[in-house]
Amino acid sequence: MKQFAYFPGCSLEKMAQSYHLSTIEVARVLGIELQELEDWNCCGATAYFHVDELLAHTLCARNLAMAEAAGMDLVAPCSGCYKNMHACNAHLKKDRDLADHINFALEEDNLHFNGKINVRHLIEVFTEDLKEVKAKATNPLAGLKVAPYYGCQILRPRKYERENVEEPRYFEDLMTAIGATPVDFLLRLRCCGAALIITNREAALSMVRNLLQNAVDSGADVIATACPLCQVNLECYQDQVNAEFGTKFSVPVFYFTQLMGLSMGIPAKQLGIGTEFLSPPAAMLAACRKTAVV
Amino acid sequence: MATTVTFCQEIANLLHAAGGTPVSACMQCGTCSGTCPVGDFMDVRPQRLIRMIDAGLKDKVLATRSFWYCASCYQCTVRCPRGIDIAELMYGLKRYTIWKNQYPEDLVGPTFSETFIKNIMRTGRSYEPVLATSYFFTLGIKEMLQEAQGATMLMLKGRLPVLPARIKRLENFKRMIQRIIPLGD
Amino acid sequence: MSEQKQLLIIDDDPDFAEGIKSILVKANYKVDMTHNPKDGWAALEKKKYDLLLLDVMMGRGAEGIMIARKLGKDAKLREMPVLIITSIREQMAFLFPGAAVHPNFVDVDELVEKPVEPKLLLDKVSTLIKTSEAKKKK
Repeated sequence: MKQFAYFPGCSLEKMAQSYHLSTIEVARVLGIELQELEDWNCCGATAYFHVDELLAHTLCARNLAMAEAAGMDLVAPCSGCYKNMHACNAHLKKDRDLADHINFALEEDNLHFNGKINVRHLIEVFTEDLKEVKAKATNPLAGLKVAPYYGCQILRPRKYERENVEEPRYFEDLMTAIGATPVDFLLRLRCCGAALIITNREAALSMVRNLLQNAVDSGADVIATACPLCQVNLECYQDQVNAEFGTKFSVPVFYFTQLMGLSMGIPAKQLGIGTEFLSPPAAMLAACRKTAVV
Repeated sequence: MATTVTFCQEIANLLHAAGGTPVSACMQCGTCSGTCPVGDFMDVRPQRLIRMIDAGLKDKVLATRSFWYCASCYQCTVRCPRGIDIAELMYGLKRYTIWKNQYPEDLVGPTFSETFIKNIMRTGRSYEPVLATSYFFTLGIKEMLQEAQGATMLMLKGRLPVLPARIKRLENFKRMIQRIIPLGD
Repeated sequence: MSEQKQLLIIDDDPDFAEGIKSILVKANYKVDMTHNPKDGWAALEKKKYDLLLLDVMMGRGAEGIMIARKLGKDAKLREMPVLIITSIREQMAFLFPGAAVHPNFVDVDELVEKPVEPKLLLDKVSTLIKTSEAKKKK
């Protein structure tokens, strides 16, 4: 059985609880063991890099060291957490002096970074065996048109040279595997604005507007995301986008794990479906109803 | 040894540990400006900002809002034909202006980042509601109402944390931080 | 004290570094200046210095602390006295308002805060060099 040290990240506690719930459910069905990292701390998001990069790395290194101590690779559902931890892991592995310095700090918590583990994004882990995903999709989401939204930090910066950050297909392939229809969502790799929704509201609302418009133009019923910040910006701020630009968007936004879970016959409530601002579209409701007969 | 250090060199010093090609290698192709999703909202787009750095326009560069509006999407970094880590430059400039406490007064970014960091220092985790204090009062009435509506909806859907989470080994965590930044008791 | 003492500055603030360099040069020290950790280490490898004047906040963050620690681990370099001159309290003012810089978290010979008075600077420098030489003679 595949085992991972699971790093939920701050958002999955409450704001993106449905992401957490659906992740646990899907992992169970796929036979992947997710052991929540004990006493994990915030990854620091982008804020720490604005002030002290060494401190930013220390925050991530604590989590990495704990995953190492548990003897497992670390998996993060949030693209922001994933990017930070992956980059920290890579930097510390490459820069001996940096690792020594941060290890000196980690001593205060009886931890040590040895560079022995890898960091994965949840979607990477869940799409490793698409045949298995398809086999478990006993309730395929037929007729559901999905705009797969990668966002930015899940791909960028490159984690290794020549990584395909311009034409990835794994999200589309995943949607196909669960019986849904991925649409040609041209802006799938464009940033949603993330924290800009607070630090430059005007810019972020405009970025979200472009994404929503493109999703609608591409014929999507829903947008699927792999990051809590993206979900919040795209969905919870839709009203504000409409107020700002006079648009009438009503595009539901779900986590890819919720869609996966639904396709696996897991009841909607267990996947946190219903905690969104917008109701699922007809095609999804049909699938939800099928799972209710359990 | 040169007797004066140019601003361009100062930036190179700031980014001494950054990967990729030095900022001075920029050939002004404009790819970064063209691809930046926030470009329209920056007073100076990335390409021009780099040219200003190269031209030594220190005060003008530090007075721009550009880097504080960077969303860290790294689109510029992966597309720069010279391989310059432009997003890293933006982070560096943010650090530079925070350390000097020198940035336009009405920017939300610096206050937001500082609030975020202090929050984590206190508990080891972030807590969204307290972040609202850093920007709420910069909003106009209309926006405030919209934010309040959004927050209420989140609360009704059970998505707003009521109490801040706290890590268990908080004392160790704080001492760990002090080994990096030697401030405090 | 026949030979001129060699000092190295690692400080990213070119104006401040130039300022203390001129004070030290007037007091007959030979001063090399670097403005980032990478150049600083390169200088330390090329020449033997009698004292290092080290800034804290530069480049990625509190790099000076990292440098001080690494020096302590080097068999040759740990003998060189280190004087940290920092404005970390202003630079990181929001983080621990009112808190003092804690020298216990970093192993250096002396730590002073910017701005530093020329007389104090020269006193500290000469005292540290003398103490270090006395130690070596033992």
